[in-house]
Amino acid sequence: MELLEPEILLQLLIGGLLAGALYALLACGLNLIFGVMRVINLAHAELMLIGAFGAYVLFHIFGLHPLASLLIVVPAIFFVGYYLQRFLIERVVGRPMLTSLLATYGLSIILINLGLLLFSADFKSIPALQGSFLIDELAVSKPRATAGLISLLLTVGVYQFLERTRLGKAIRAVSEHAQVAAICGIDVRQIRMLTFGMAAAMAGAAGVMLSVIYSFWPGSGVDFIQKCFAIIIIGGMGNFVGAFYGGILLGVVEAFVGGFISTQWAEAAAYLLLVTVLLIRPTGLKGVARA
Amino acid sequence: MVPAAPSGRLKEEIIMKRRLSLSVLFSLILAVIIFPAVTQAKDIVVGTSVALTGKYARTGQEQLQGFQMWVDEVNARGGLLGRKVKLVHYDDESKPETGAKLYEKLITDDKVDLLIGPYSSDVTMAASTVAEKYHFPMVSSGASATEIWERGYKNTFGLYTLAETYMDSILEFGKSKGLKKIALIYENTAFPRGVAAGVKDKAKKLGMQVVFEEEYGKASTDFSSMIIKIKSRKPDMVIGGSYLPDSTAFMRQAKENRLFAKIFAFAVGPGLPDFGQNLGLDAEGVMGNTQWEPTLKLPGVKEFAEKYNQKYGHEPGYHAGGGYGTGQVLEAAVKKAGSTDPDKVRAALFALDIVTTFGRFKVDATGKQIGKPAYAVQWLAGERHIVLPVEAATAKAAYPFKDWGKR
Repeated sequence: MELLEPEILLQLLIGGLLAGALYALLACGLNLIFGVMRVINLAHAELMLIGAFGAYVLFHIFGLHPLASLLIVVPAIFFVGYYLQRFLIERVVGRPMLTSLLATYGLSIILINLGLLLFSADFKSIPALQGSFLIDELAVSKPRATAGLISLLLTVGVYQFLERTRLGKAIRAVSEHAQVAAICGIDVRQIRMLTFGMAAAMAGAAGVMLSVIYSFWPGSGVDFIQKCFAIIIIGGMGNFVGAFYGGILLGVVEAFVGGFISTQWAEAAAYLLLVTVLLIRPTGLKGVARA
Repeated sequence: MVPAAPSGRLKEEIIMKRRLSLSVLFSLILAVIIFPAVTQAKDIVVGTSVALTGKYARTGQEQLQGFQMWVDEVNARGGLLGRKVKLVHYDDESKPETGAKLYEKLITDDKVDLLIGPYSSDVTMAASTVAEKYHFPMVSSGASATEIWERGYKNTFGLYTLAETYMDSILEFGKSKGLKKIALIYENTAFPRGVAAGVKDKAKKLGMQVVFEEEYGKASTDFSSMIIKIKSRKPDMVIGGSYLPDSTAFMRQAKENRLFAKIFAFAVGPGLPDFGQNLGLDAEGVMGNTQWEPTLKLPGVKEFAEKYNQKYGHEPGYHAGGGYGTGQVLEAAVKKAGSTDPDKVRAALFALDIVTTFGRFKVDATGKQIGKPAYAVQWLAGERHIVLPVEAATAKAAYPFKDWGKR
């Protein structure tokens, strides 16, 4: 069968890895929030779209290249996240799960409708970074390669930050046990704001990357948030590294399912993968069973 | 906390308040009952649902603006049968199930006098069933899947050229260039499937071969895996039964994956200005279909295009043209019937044979459009031109599609 030719397999694999890196960037942020404050952020994909529309506006009004706009958009969304935590999410941390679900769901509805008001429901995309690099016979998409690499860099960067810096340690401590962390003199509230800001910034960066790959509109978030949920369950709830593996895995599986079966089935891949992983490892790839 | 028992005065106050709220409630109910009756006696109410959100939002909005322009104009001319025309519209969110509910509401709740169809074939499939249930004639702009008219219904009147014939002229053009192998992709809903069925049929008649065929879901945004497969079959023509977002995404990813063919042709997408805006130079040479273009030589097209541009700040696409034409068809039918009685309007619609700004309107015994031809467009130097049929062409078709590496 023609599909088994190494060239095509390699092409599918590369496509899958690059898509997976973008998923990972988004899902890692979601998991970071869940890990630190046990809040499932239903508005995460909308934070991503703020990034995408930010890049769109900067491109069409100031002619700024999407890669350059990363430098403006990402810090801006960090502050959006920081203050969202300060004024909204902080109030629902530690409350029953339903409270935070409702709060973030409400936030996502507000953001979607704000988007519709400002940008209408038209599909947008940015005509920049089109085409591909040719490595021998292998075509590697420019926007995807760039997006994949930047996503990878950011995710690994955040991971290193969490592992190696004092602030990162503090975030992990709060994630482990907020009360004990507070007793040890960590300003838990500040850490939460920082965490949400960071996760929002990651989502924003994913949004900028998304704007050069796909067409998007204010309601595009749904497809992504659903996949992200599947990813963090696959990877293990609250586990940063798990979400990374989960994202990459989903990207690759989607590419191969799309190649071997059909694009329609690729859309179901996330959920098939979810069920499979849960059957074999109910806590997810990296999850730990909690009492 | 247990609330304390109210004191005497408080009790009185509460009763007063209750009485007040009761009377407010009653007057509200009365208003609701009386108010529609008052407006009905005066205005002719035209009801429709269009997609203002979701996948078909862009095109749905254009269609609605087309209707609205007609409504404004007919009122400026003194209305229909001496009555003012009022448009009632809802957002069906591009969902057939929502569309069906809204048409039920329009007919039973809003008690509209005339009905205009929604946008997209799959929402129309659902809405037309409701219209049929109430024997209410519906003039349908924005639907072109043949299956809508294959269910023996008597109340759905189409304006669009049918999906099955969309690609005929492009396929004939390909044949004339000696092309043989076709890759066919399409969304898994009514209209794109109709386009695909027409392509397969026509290809067979022309002795061409479909070497690749695949359906994709409504939410598909990533076609890379599909494109890699298509590439290995080396087709001469890539044809898509698509809408705007998918055709845009496909062309983008075709470039990323260096998919090459002599002709790229898509339904809907390339017929819209957004296709060029979103793709920039990569739109160059892509062919598509159009139901209508603002450059067509039909009565009133130029005036309509100018006014539309003034009002909404952009050139009308064919969805807007269709919306406007629908209004004209309704107007002609109501005038011919001399009333808005559903039975009389239905009879008038069956008998009508007119040329509107949108093109000829003539339906067969099922309400299916048989009068209007299909036009092929191509993006040339950043603009959309009619290239086929040659009689209506505003530019000569560019052939073959330029290799990605040589652009």
